[in-house]
Amino acid sequence: MRDVMLSGRLATRGGGAVRNAVHLLALVFLLLAIAFGVIAWAAGDTFYLRLATEALIFAGLAMSVDILLGYTGLLSLGQALYFGLGAYTSAVVLRDIGPSFWLAMGMTLVLATLAGTLGGFIANRVKGVYFALITFGLAQVVAKVVYNTRELGASDGLIGVPEITIPLGLFTVEAANPAAFFLFVLAFVLLLYAGIAYLMDTPFGRTLTAIRANDRRVPFLGSNPLVYRMLAYVLAANVAALTGALYPMLRGFVSPELMFFHTSGNAVITVIVGGVGTLIGPILGSVLLTALRSVVGTWTEHHLIVIGVLFMLSVILLPKGLIGAIRPWLQHRLTGSETPR
Amino acid sequence: MSAAALSVHDLTVNFGALVAVNSISFDAAPGRITSVIGPNGAGKSSLFNLISGAIRPTAGMVRLEGVDVTGRPPFRMLAAGLARSFQITNLFFELSVIENLRLAAQILEPPLRSLLPVARSPRALRRADELLESFGLSGKAHELAGSLSHGEQRRLEIAVALAGYPRVLLLDEPTQGMSHGDTAETAEMIRRLAGEMTVLLIEHDIGLVMTLSDHVVVMHQGRKLAEGTPAAVRADPAVQAAYFGHA
Amino acid sequence: MPEFLDYFQFVLAPQMLNGLSLGVAVILMALGLTIIFGLLDVINMAHGEFYAIGAFLALSVGALGFDFWVMLAVVPLMMVPIGWLTEQVLIQRVFHSRERHILTLLLTFGFGMVLEDVLKLVYGPNTQKPPTPIGGGTEILGIFLPNYRLFLIVFGAALILAVWLVVFRSRLGAMVRAAAWDKDMASSLGVPVRLVYSGTFAFGVALAGLSGVLLAPIYSVFPTMGRDFILMAFTVVIVGGMGSIQGAVVAGVLLTQVQAISSLYISPVWSDPLVFGIMVMVLMVRPQGLFGKLGNA
Repeated sequence: MRDVMLSGRLATRGGGAVRNAVHLLALVFLLLAIAFGVIAWAAGDTFYLRLATEALIFAGLAMSVDILLGYTGLLSLGQALYFGLGAYTSAVVLRDIGPSFWLAMGMTLVLATLAGTLGGFIANRVKGVYFALITFGLAQVVAKVVYNTRELGASDGLIGVPEITIPLGLFTVEAANPAAFFLFVLAFVLLLYAGIAYLMDTPFGRTLTAIRANDRRVPFLGSNPLVYRMLAYVLAANVAALTGALYPMLRGFVSPELMFFHTSGNAVITVIVGGVGTLIGPILGSVLLTALRSVVGTWTEHHLIVIGVLFMLSVILLPKGLIGAIRPWLQHRLTGSETPR
Repeated sequence: MSAAALSVHDLTVNFGALVAVNSISFDAAPGRITSVIGPNGAGKSSLFNLISGAIRPTAGMVRLEGVDVTGRPPFRMLAAGLARSFQITNLFFELSVIENLRLAAQILEPPLRSLLPVARSPRALRRADELLESFGLSGKAHELAGSLSHGEQRRLEIAVALAGYPRVLLLDEPTQGMSHGDTAETAEMIRRLAGEMTVLLIEHDIGLVMTLSDHVVVMHQGRKLAEGTPAAVRADPAVQAAYFGHA
Repeated sequence: MPEFLDYFQFVLAPQMLNGLSLGVAVILMALGLTIIFGLLDVINMAHGEFYAIGAFLALSVGALGFDFWVMLAVVPLMMVPIGWLTEQVLIQRVFHSRERHILTLLLTFGFGMVLEDVLKLVYGPNTQKPPTPIGGGTEILGIFLPNYRLFLIVFGAALILAVWLVVFRSRLGAMVRAAAWDKDMASSLGVPVRLVYSGTFAFGVALAGLSGVLLAPIYSVFPTMGRDFILMAFTVVIVGGMGSIQGAVVAGVLLTQVQAISSLYISPVWSDPLVFGIMVMVLMVRPQGLFGKLGNA
């Protein structure tokens, strides 16, 4: 049994040091985020807390892109479709049915699973660049329909989403309280992170990695790649939608921009800059890019040039993103020995 | 007849006007080594693709231990007892050697274990360890499959195919590109495997085929030219004309 | 029967001709995309921005006092070095990577984003409407059509024919097709493959710019003008078969006609999903699209 446990640990991608490095990053991130939340709260800030909360929400969208791109090898250029679906569902439920957090999340889960199954059925007919273009088109078409649907507020979006109270058993969180809601979203996103990280290290997740590495061999090992790709797609749709559902709770409105390519593209940029296939990379990437946008935004409104150039440089120079760049160093510090691959 | 581990009947596939495999029939006896030989383009690899479910036949039937498995997708073949290796090494090059084997051995675990941590799949891990050992790859367990030498990759290719305990194993040119020493070793291994399962072999090395096989099927331009014991096939004038004539 | 004739003359036919003028422009865009994909295996996500650059350059040339015909000749020539440089500086950098498809797609996507913002920086975010270069209208068989649309159809069709002739009938085109079919073989036969790559990319970019010049008088000019158009162009390329020139032409006419005619009966909002639905159906039946890739044609 001891032997089995040993190879179980060793069979992880590159061994324990890699995972420890990533988990350490997650822990450092959590501590820094809590420190930020406390300081901002003490200083009576609202603006930066709201901005940081938004960064975390978009980190969820980026993680959903990473499930597909970093683990399954599928580039989705339309993940905003599910993010927007979650945001609109949540907004409609909170505004028109009742200001219940759990009802909004439950509805989002149901609708995202349905839409993800349908979308996955269409997109998974094809692979590679075709998959990228189909997901792009799918999101674009749905976004246009929403943009032109009066019942959904058309180009104005939906406004007047009430401020809600989130019951969490022992205590409640007021979405209107910036610090409390920030900490809530932080916990939410990191729980999602932990859940996905767990899943990606099970045989299920490893099979996704195998599909990314060589999808032609997978069937001969007894697994149907299409089933796995569908599951990954529906999972990613739900991750995007559930974090999207938090958006109207933060901002009080939703707009069709949340569904358009701009949002999907930003998520892809976040993943590439942060580090593909690392999960924590997209979270850090989202925070850093939001901060960068905000800083650049004080000088010029043309932050797209800066972000775009940064993104292109990442693609060319940092194929594993920021995490890929700092991880070897971290592992070195952790193990005190040479760095494994 | 009914005792055949693998039985192929009138198997045919055409790609447009080209009939790649034309009405091929033969039986592979259990626990024996059956080889398929023939010049390049004879349709051997297409035959393997048909049997393993990689492509669907236009006509004909494939039976595995008496069960009709014609046209079943590849991912259902392993459960039926059939696995295959590839002529062009087809591994997860970006993953470690042990992970390649563990992935292949996961079929030994109940499906729900898929959602538990990898360490909770003891049978798959034990199988992977076992194969590492028996294929002499223990020292390379954590290297990436892509960084192995060609000979090691060819061995891993077979080990991956074996992980799910198939009862019928299709080996597509296992010694392709191997050194002399490695080839002899692989031949010895195939002989040992035949004690435990049925082996269907595509091989270019005629010497190897003749010493190793119990039964030989000769293909030529998609058709079966002859079949029989190695000696009988070697003596067949049609085979000599079409095949050994060039060699 | 006369009712139908009236309907045809006053409703259906003008709409179809409008659709055709849009179709010709979409085909020009799609041709650039599909030729670049057919040869380099690159999905050029910045194609819509190159289209916008073409339209803006036309505005600049116009502002210098030159007329439409000068724009038509000069703008594509100005696009060539832009495309050439893009290929040399961006595409080549990741061209030999195993994940070339995805990397070039990401790079051109990032580049498109930068270009869009550069356009905003240089020209401002506002919509500009260039004057219609050819005014008036003509009645053909009782159907009234603005002259400029008529010109667009004729000129665009001639251009498509010219591209066709260049690719399939000229020595240059033979080199491109050879390189698309097998670059190593082409290279050993003395085709300067590197040059052909850059040249073809630049050619595709010039076609996008030319579409920009042609469509500016109809759809106005603004920095994000490429976004709506690019989806239609990609749809055409996918339905026609990525890398197929015939496919782009057939699918371009077909889909824009579907869009034009359907918008008579359903809200234009739903004509996009309809066209997209057709694409999905084509992919279900023939994932490779209607026609084969460039080298194989």
